[in-house]
Amino acid sequence: MDSTPAVELCDVVKTFGEVTAVDHVSIQIQDGEFFSLLGPSGCGKTTTLRLIAGFEMPTSGEIRIGGETQGFRPPFRRPVNTVFQQYALFPHMTVYENVAFGLQMQKIDRAEIRRRVGEALEMVHLQGMEKRRPKQLSGGQQQRVALARALVNRPKVLLLDEPLGALDLKLRKAMQLELKSLQEHVGITFIYVTHDQEEALTMSDRIAVMNEGKVLQIDAPAELYENPKHRFVADFIGETNFLPVKIVQLHPDIVVELGDGTRLPAGWAEEHLRVGQEAMLSIRPEKINLYEERELSPPNATTARVQGTVERLVYVGTDTHHTVRLRNGDTIVARLQNFYVEEEPWEVGETTYAQWDAAHARVLSKE
Amino acid sequence: MTTETLTATQERARPQPRRLALGSWLLSGYGIVGYLFLYLPIIIVVIFSFNDSRSTAKWAGFTIDWYREMLADRQIILSLWNSLFVAIVSTAISTVMGTLAAMGLERYSFRGKLAVDSILYLPIIIPDIAMAIMLLIFFNVSGIGFEPWRVQFLGNRLAVPYSVIIGHVAFNISFVAVVVRARLANMDRTLEEAAQDLYANTWQTFRRVTLPMLMPGILGGALLAFTLSLDDFVITFFTSGAGFNTLPVRVFGMIKKGVTPKINAVSTLMLLFSLALIFISILLRTRAGDEEETIQFGM
Repeated sequence: MDSTPAVELCDVVKTFGEVTAVDHVSIQIQDGEFFSLLGPSGCGKTTTLRLIAGFEMPTSGEIRIGGETQGFRPPFRRPVNTVFQQYALFPHMTVYENVAFGLQMQKIDRAEIRRRVGEALEMVHLQGMEKRRPKQLSGGQQQRVALARALVNRPKVLLLDEPLGALDLKLRKAMQLELKSLQEHVGITFIYVTHDQEEALTMSDRIAVMNEGKVLQIDAPAELYENPKHRFVADFIGETNFLPVKIVQLHPDIVVELGDGTRLPAGWAEEHLRVGQEAMLSIRPEKINLYEERELSPPNATTARVQGTVERLVYVGTDTHHTVRLRNGDTIVARLQNFYVEEEPWEVGETTYAQWDAAHARVLSKE
Repeated sequence: MTTETLTATQERARPQPRRLALGSWLLSGYGIVGYLFLYLPIIIVVIFSFNDSRSTAKWAGFTIDWYREMLADRQIILSLWNSLFVAIVSTAISTVMGTLAAMGLERYSFRGKLAVDSILYLPIIIPDIAMAIMLLIFFNVSGIGFEPWRVQFLGNRLAVPYSVIIGHVAFNISFVAVVVRARLANMDRTLEEAAQDLYANTWQTFRRVTLPMLMPGILGGALLAFTLSLDDFVITFFTSGAGFNTLPVRVFGMIKKGVTPKINAVSTLMLLFSLALIFISILLRTRAGDEEETIQFGM
């Protein structure tokens, strides 16, 4: 893993006229990694992928694949292959001809092509479909042909542009797991573009969250979810509560203040924040517990606690979402697992104390 | 049809069955009259080409003499070969040039593109006669074109003025370009990107992906060009100079001496030819339709 990165983007910028699609992006992707570019539509993730593939050329910056600078190299001279969003299978060719295309272009001899196409189709469970045309296949099957057509070339890096987007939910879930195990099996670096955070969390080794052309955070899924370093990341990945706060103290411990003067400890704050600044306190709903007054332990520096009234209960099977109205008018949602059926539930209007471990609370810039 | 839909239809029809029946009867009648108006003259031409009389107004029994006479007329046969030769050569040239024009206009942006784009449509829009006069003046002023191309074509010695072929190419390019361009605009460009991603260079991408995908459009355009060239009278007449006849020009010359059933026979022959071409083009278009579905599926 300490060798040269499989793909390296150094300060890459791509503008289309007035619009900056990719804004000073630097990423290092390791060999054999399942790396995702995650963000809402228009965030620049697909453009970034197209820059790596060579369909677009960077306005400035540098892209290296396997240590080699790509410059203005056209797509057909780059050691990467792409699985397109809508598969882009050649409709006038059979499945066999589609998969063999890349090998034919590389002038590989016919016996070898036959063998490798056979292997690739076997890998994606499409043996016996060689003579069919793409339109005679289901969406899932077309997806597999697209995958085989790319992987048969044994690229250094496989680029996938929302490859599961066109499939229905159930098939998508199955394909997620299949893709992941396929990637582990072939050991090729995957760069995966998606707007589906759950998909990215499920499959990726690391994820780059993008918005408005910028990479906001690159981390492993758990790190990204537990320790978002940016308000957009906290908001985009999973659900979170945002409480508007004012920073009271940053050293040695972080303390913030709600509108009504309630002081709360927090675990982490963005580096550029200063005492006295307005900010957002982010806390995930499942980290919050609700207590009655008599259950409370004496206050301490590592526990945050706010008083409020239960306003709404939403039962969703595994959990119940409790909306609590705080004294200053803000609301937070606590997601409590339905662990004991016989447990006495909270009722609307009851006074409650929401409490969480300060380590889970993160102070993020308001923007 | 299930019973449910049956009753639904009946119920909907019940309030005004009489008027509905009258309406659809009128509509059918109107349709029949319309078609008769269009096709009766053609049917009459075909029928009287078999008439055993010099008259083109009174039926006098069945004969195929006029076809025999037509085939024996060396002038007619020569003009038929002239027509075919001009159509084939001008179609070949205009298909290549029209396809390239379509590619250029659809895929590249360059200075003056809008002007080129508009000018390309001109031959379709302006009247044939205007185009014919423009070409005539051009050939007169430039002094090129009227000398004949002496060529051996399927055992026939032809002398075809270059001006006729250039004239046909000039209007056919536009038609080919328009048809191919429509196809090109509907084509999914990621297919070309996919080919490039799979190590196909620019030429291989064109050869293996773009061209096969465009083929129905190119063939359709070529067929259109071929039909237009074969049917053309005005432009041929103005650009051919003296002594050169294509079939339509020959028929025009014969009519000046009076309409005979021989002309009916020639017309029937041309009609058959056109019908065959239309049939082929429909076949091609249905196949093209299949492809289109594929593309949309792939999108």
